[in-house]
Amino acid sequence: MSQPVAAVRHILIEGNKSYHNITEDLCSPTEKAPTREWIIAFSLASAFLALYLFAVCWTVWKGIGEWGANRSINWAWDITNFVWWIGIGHAGTLISAILLLFRQRWRTGVNRAAEAMTIFAVICAGQFPIIHMGRVWLAFFIMPFPNTRGPIWTNFNSPLLWDVFAISTYFSVSLLFWYTGLVPDLATVRDRAKGFRRKIYETFSFGWTGSAKHWQRWEALSLVLAGISTPLVLSVHTIVSFDFATSVIPGWHTTIFPPYFVAGAVFSGFAMVQTLMVITRKVLKLEQYITINHIESMNKVIVLTGTIVGVAYLTELFISWYSGYIYEQFAFYNRVFGIYWWSYFGMMFCNVVSPQVFWSRKIRRSIWWTFFLSILINVGMWFERFVIIATTLARDFLPSSWSYYRPTWVEISLFTGTIGLFFFCYLIFCRVAPVVAIAEVKAILKVAGDQYIGPDAKNGQNEQVKHAH
Amino acid sequence: MHHDNGIWVGSEDLMRDEAFAKSSQSEFSVENIDQTDGKWQASRRDFLKLMGFGLGAATIAASCEIPVKKAIPYVTKPDEIVPGVANYFASTFVNGSDYCPILVKTREGRPIKIEGNTLSTVTNGGTSARAQASVLSLYDTRRIQNAGTVKEGSVTKMDWAGLDREVKAKLATGGNIRIVTNSIFSPSGESAMREFVAQYPTASIISYDAVSSAALLEANEKCFGFNLFPKYKFDEAAVICSFGADFLGTWGNPVQQARDYTKGRKVAGAKTPKMSRHYQVEGYMSLTGSNADSRIQIRPSEMGAAISALYAELSGNGGGPKLNDKAASAIKKVAKDLQSARGKSIVVSGSNNVAEQIIVNKINDLLGNINSTIDFNGASFTHSGDERQVAKLIDEMNGGQVATILVWGANPAWELPNAEAFKAAFAKVGTRISLNTNLDETTLLCTHAAPTNHFLESWGDALPVAGKFSIIQPTIAPLFATRQAEHSLLVWCDSPNLNSSSEQPYYEYVKANWQKDYFPNQTKYLTPDAFWEMSLHDGVHEVPPHDITVSFDQAVSVDLNGVSQPSTSELEISFFETVNIGGGQYAHNPWLQEMPDPVTRTVWGNYLSIPVEWDGVNNIDGWMGLNDGDEVDVEVNGQKFKCSVVKNFGQTVGTVAIALGGGRQAGGCGVSHGVNVNAAMKQENGLTQYYGVDVKVTPTGTKDKHFACVQHHNSMGVTAMGKEEGKVINADEKSLGWKGFQGSLTDRSIIFQTNIKDLQKLEHKLEEFHEESTHLNSQTLYPDNIEYFGTGMKWGMYIDLNSCIGCGACQVACVSENNVPVVGKKEVARHHEMTWLRIDRYFYGDLENPKVVYQPMMCQHCDNAPCENVCPVNATNHSMEGLNQMAYNRCIGTRYCANNCPYKVRRFNWLDYTTADVWPSNEERVFHVEGENLPFYADNLVRMVLNPDVTVRTRGVIEKCSFCVQRIQEGKLTAKKESRAIQDNDVRTACQTACPTGAIVFGNTNNPESEVSKASKNAGALAYKVLEEINVRPGVNYSAKIHNANEELFS
Repeated sequence: MSQPVAAVRHILIEGNKSYHNITEDLCSPTEKAPTREWIIAFSLASAFLALYLFAVCWTVWKGIGEWGANRSINWAWDITNFVWWIGIGHAGTLISAILLLFRQRWRTGVNRAAEAMTIFAVICAGQFPIIHMGRVWLAFFIMPFPNTRGPIWTNFNSPLLWDVFAISTYFSVSLLFWYTGLVPDLATVRDRAKGFRRKIYETFSFGWTGSAKHWQRWEALSLVLAGISTPLVLSVHTIVSFDFATSVIPGWHTTIFPPYFVAGAVFSGFAMVQTLMVITRKVLKLEQYITINHIESMNKVIVLTGTIVGVAYLTELFISWYSGYIYEQFAFYNRVFGIYWWSYFGMMFCNVVSPQVFWSRKIRRSIWWTFFLSILINVGMWFERFVIIATTLARDFLPSSWSYYRPTWVEISLFTGTIGLFFFCYLIFCRVAPVVAIAEVKAILKVAGDQYIGPDAKNGQNEQVKHAH
Repeated sequence: MHHDNGIWVGSEDLMRDEAFAKSSQSEFSVENIDQTDGKWQASRRDFLKLMGFGLGAATIAASCEIPVKKAIPYVTKPDEIVPGVANYFASTFVNGSDYCPILVKTREGRPIKIEGNTLSTVTNGGTSARAQASVLSLYDTRRIQNAGTVKEGSVTKMDWAGLDREVKAKLATGGNIRIVTNSIFSPSGESAMREFVAQYPTASIISYDAVSSAALLEANEKCFGFNLFPKYKFDEAAVICSFGADFLGTWGNPVQQARDYTKGRKVAGAKTPKMSRHYQVEGYMSLTGSNADSRIQIRPSEMGAAISALYAELSGNGGGPKLNDKAASAIKKVAKDLQSARGKSIVVSGSNNVAEQIIVNKINDLLGNINSTIDFNGASFTHSGDERQVAKLIDEMNGGQVATILVWGANPAWELPNAEAFKAAFAKVGTRISLNTNLDETTLLCTHAAPTNHFLESWGDALPVAGKFSIIQPTIAPLFATRQAEHSLLVWCDSPNLNSSSEQPYYEYVKANWQKDYFPNQTKYLTPDAFWEMSLHDGVHEVPPHDITVSFDQAVSVDLNGVSQPSTSELEISFFETVNIGGGQYAHNPWLQEMPDPVTRTVWGNYLSIPVEWDGVNNIDGWMGLNDGDEVDVEVNGQKFKCSVVKNFGQTVGTVAIALGGGRQAGGCGVSHGVNVNAAMKQENGLTQYYGVDVKVTPTGTKDKHFACVQHHNSMGVTAMGKEEGKVINADEKSLGWKGFQGSLTDRSIIFQTNIKDLQKLEHKLEEFHEESTHLNSQTLYPDNIEYFGTGMKWGMYIDLNSCIGCGACQVACVSENNVPVVGKKEVARHHEMTWLRIDRYFYGDLENPKVVYQPMMCQHCDNAPCENVCPVNATNHSMEGLNQMAYNRCIGTRYCANNCPYKVRRFNWLDYTTADVWPSNEERVFHVEGENLPFYADNLVRMVLNPDVTVRTRGVIEKCSFCVQRIQEGKLTAKKESRAIQDNDVRTACQTACPTGAIVFGNTNNPESEVSKASKNAGALAYKVLEEINVRPGVNYSAKIHNANEELFS
């Protein structure tokens, strides 16, 4: 043939699945009775969620004074948790939007779960800017709306207001994107369901019939949403980084923050995806959909972004020295060798040193290593935000106001509580919706055609393809 | 309808208009219900719906219980009260030896703020923290509220007539009567006592002070024939040498002395920079020592040796005890300096040893200072107590020779080293009557309580200095059924001069005294009534004193053997009085308890101050490796107590120090804060010695969980010998890292200081700094806001760091003016203090013997304020007059502003400190007076002190210094009413008026003629802004700290 022929891609779904197999495999978790493991996990998550709710009520009722923050360190675990969760969400958006645009079709195995993770992580993140307010009952003041108080408008110069827009946009777009993807799959579940359950899925699948027109619109919408989401991957964490970068405090006031935060966010997000996927694929027996190849691809992203973050850390140190400005120099000296030195070293080890093991293909493809490192990276990224926030505030311009921070039980409960909230949502999600996008997976499954290389393929063609390899 | 019957209604009816015909068919016309547009569509059902909803909503809303607050108008408005307008009454703050002529600000009849009385030439309008805080003790919930008998820790109520009968009966039974008081310098009070003694000839008066000056008084009596505290003219002295006398903080008359002292030390803005040189010889770092140019560190037991050494140097007569070599060689240089300033120097001593005070007098005589810088013309009567009288009284009581004892103002059962002996003897007295305000340690042991008024409810007068009279006038009717002590004495002695049927008998008594005694000695007023009215109005009445010249009685011999003998013990301890708590008499005032000690910056209690040690390499540690808040057992003079330590630069190696006044046992909020160390002091020849030797300190290994200190990092470039470098290095920078709070880079644009001889060098450095900052600040994309701020008014402040002595009067004034809540020890320990104005203290110079700079720090009202642009809801913004404003109602408490404040002056209401929440469960952690269920701020009595012009902030909002915006507003209105431009005098901030040394100047910086503009301009390059280079454009100018240290002192 004179036309160029693209190389045949690897098989993305293992196990010689038929369309029916896929439907069975992916729908069945929503149809079976919950397993014992699920019940245990769900109970645990609910318990932490309850703890979270208690701690929130306690904070709102008694006051922020129940936290360990003080007159110098006005933000501590609250905003650390906020940035951490927001960062985690980024992997979902990256996978769904950017990888879609780049036609990375392997993403179909993990995108649904990653997007769900994004939404739940943003829900967790969104808690903190609200509950950290001294007067949370007046939180609506941050919304710009015509009012009878003047009207007083919000301060459009404030990065906190930008946060409001950035995060609410992020949340709504992510939710739309995720739900759009879910509609055909919910329809699949609906078609298999009976009785009341069917009614519910009928409502949530918006009357999807699978007509060509539906599919065409669905594809178009997905693409549009991917287009909208793509800048969000960069903008959301850039704006979060402005919370610090636009301030005057040495250690916060740095121009490197936006790219550094975005890289860190993708880094931590992929780590969290790994944590979740490694468990999910095992528990829901989805190893053939979320394959070792997926895990390896994500580990490659992790080692890349981890290294970017490492370069950022070193750049910061260099620039602080190079600035010749003693406040800057002291701020970074203090980060490394100050009272919170352990958090800096924790951060360096977890985020920069540990991911380097992924240069080894063997480790990259090891489930256990992946799981272990994903946890380390999550810890490290939490430390990073703690270093930026608490360590910086503990030692700023005027030595007279230097202070020390340690959390109280309320702050610890709030943090562990949001982990409970996250898993509470995730576990429910696993039970009610297919964790792998059925329709999209089916789209990448080859059961026939010229380039089909599966077992039922015609021999000649098969040989030809093998030869082409 | 037809008008068949010939009756028609209007022309439409007559013309048979169709529309009219149609409308007249229906019974109810709807057209005209709404007169405005005729489009009313509501049906009856709509109306019922709306009404139903409205009623329901209103019912639900109304059923929420909202506290009823009544504002009841005057039925007959007193002429002098206009609601919303403050009245000021001249009065006088007197407590023991503390004296301050004041103006009391009252609103709607409530005293809420103390201001200095500028008409007094004693204090010239200056105040002290104690005077500022005194208004709060008026509203002390622990005051005794009625007369009665004291039984089992409480007062059983009696009416005053009944008590008077009982007391008089007891007094009439004969036997010796003793009245125990602190120093009294009220002419009318003394007159009342004289009448009492005349009626009961067996009565005599025992007067002592919590912290004694008895030795000084006795020495002056012997040397000069006057049992008085002379006036020290610190303003005229070129060289000052103080042997442990804390004359800026607690010794003598600090408000007056501080003012005089700083007069001689204002360098910024002076045409010919010149300042006095101040040596301080002491063991612990006192407030005065922290202001000294050079400190000579000695052990407290070496005080006599140090004084003798100076005497030996000046007189040539040696022979005193031996002083350590370093100090001895330094004293020689001090002597040289003093000699070069003959007649223009002052040597003072805080010692309570008569021989030492005599030597000091002799030294001053040798230096020609007597009648020159040490003047008996302005001698003060404020100190007259002598604790030896108490020792005698104890003997008398033990011998059963005292039948009745009256305690007035004093608290001998607690505040004396021999308090235990006093208590034991006191119990043997038959009738024990307390005239104190609170149920304190002594009153608890009494049989009767006849509580006196607070001074703001009292009449009285004071004669602190010859010829300078002042009046105490009440600013509120007594809050409780109390009666002032003088009145009680006069009643009990059936004084013929007391008109008991009068409404205010003691008022008439004082007035009669003044008209009788002082009216004839003046010529200004023609009638006695005019004289009294005007004196009352002014608060002070001053006549030229008699000219007194004294000479040193050469018959008095110098006794070098009578001085304190240096001890060879390993560890010594100093006991000192603090500027806030005093000897413990102010322990029940929460404002003073929460005012940080100027030097150690600790609050709520007393802590053992320990020296810091430098290991020569990179460690600045506490003595014995102890850290702030570590607990220790201390044993001294056979007394044991447990306390926590605070590392203190400047504490002499081999010594420790602890403040008096901690560990009160009864009477108010001071109970259980700190530790009582009174019994650990020894008396020599009956005189209390404020130090101890043979001290044992044993770390317990435990930590004070609530160690409350507001500044944990202490130094700004202390230097020490580096072992590795072999030269003196910046120890702060060398000790960077892993070291907790110590160690930092110190070339920070926060503090600038130099020796006066290097003044020009500093000026050059600052000029370069200003230039660099201006350059950096011009590198911005944003337009300059100079046009915005360059016109109209712009409020700014100037603070002269050379005048600031760190006394803290401004801080308490700010708390009082701006309703700043007290948060209590536990909250301060968590760094939740709320003070809008703080005084940062930085040590610099030699690590072992550093100098100190105090820096009042409040909101800098930056023109390019970093707090403003980060607030998401515009709760903090800039006024057109350059004020950084807070709209509390708008604040949602994100605290970003506080994070982004480079000066860390913003304060967040972490908890319900002001008890504004309606639910009481939120009040557990806010400040409670020990043993009270009601939080401090929830008590309606305490709330009377709140300034109604300043919003009380609720939980969850940020607050900070407003530059007293309520005063600015008041000043603007005053000027407006008088149709003139606003002047400096119209607006003075609370901190400015409180300052005894004039360190703070406030005003319109856009007016080149305003004081603040002139002061900043005159300071020239020495004026700087903290963190000038970060382009936040603060509105407060500081002028550099200049000292006049003798650099050869230790070489």
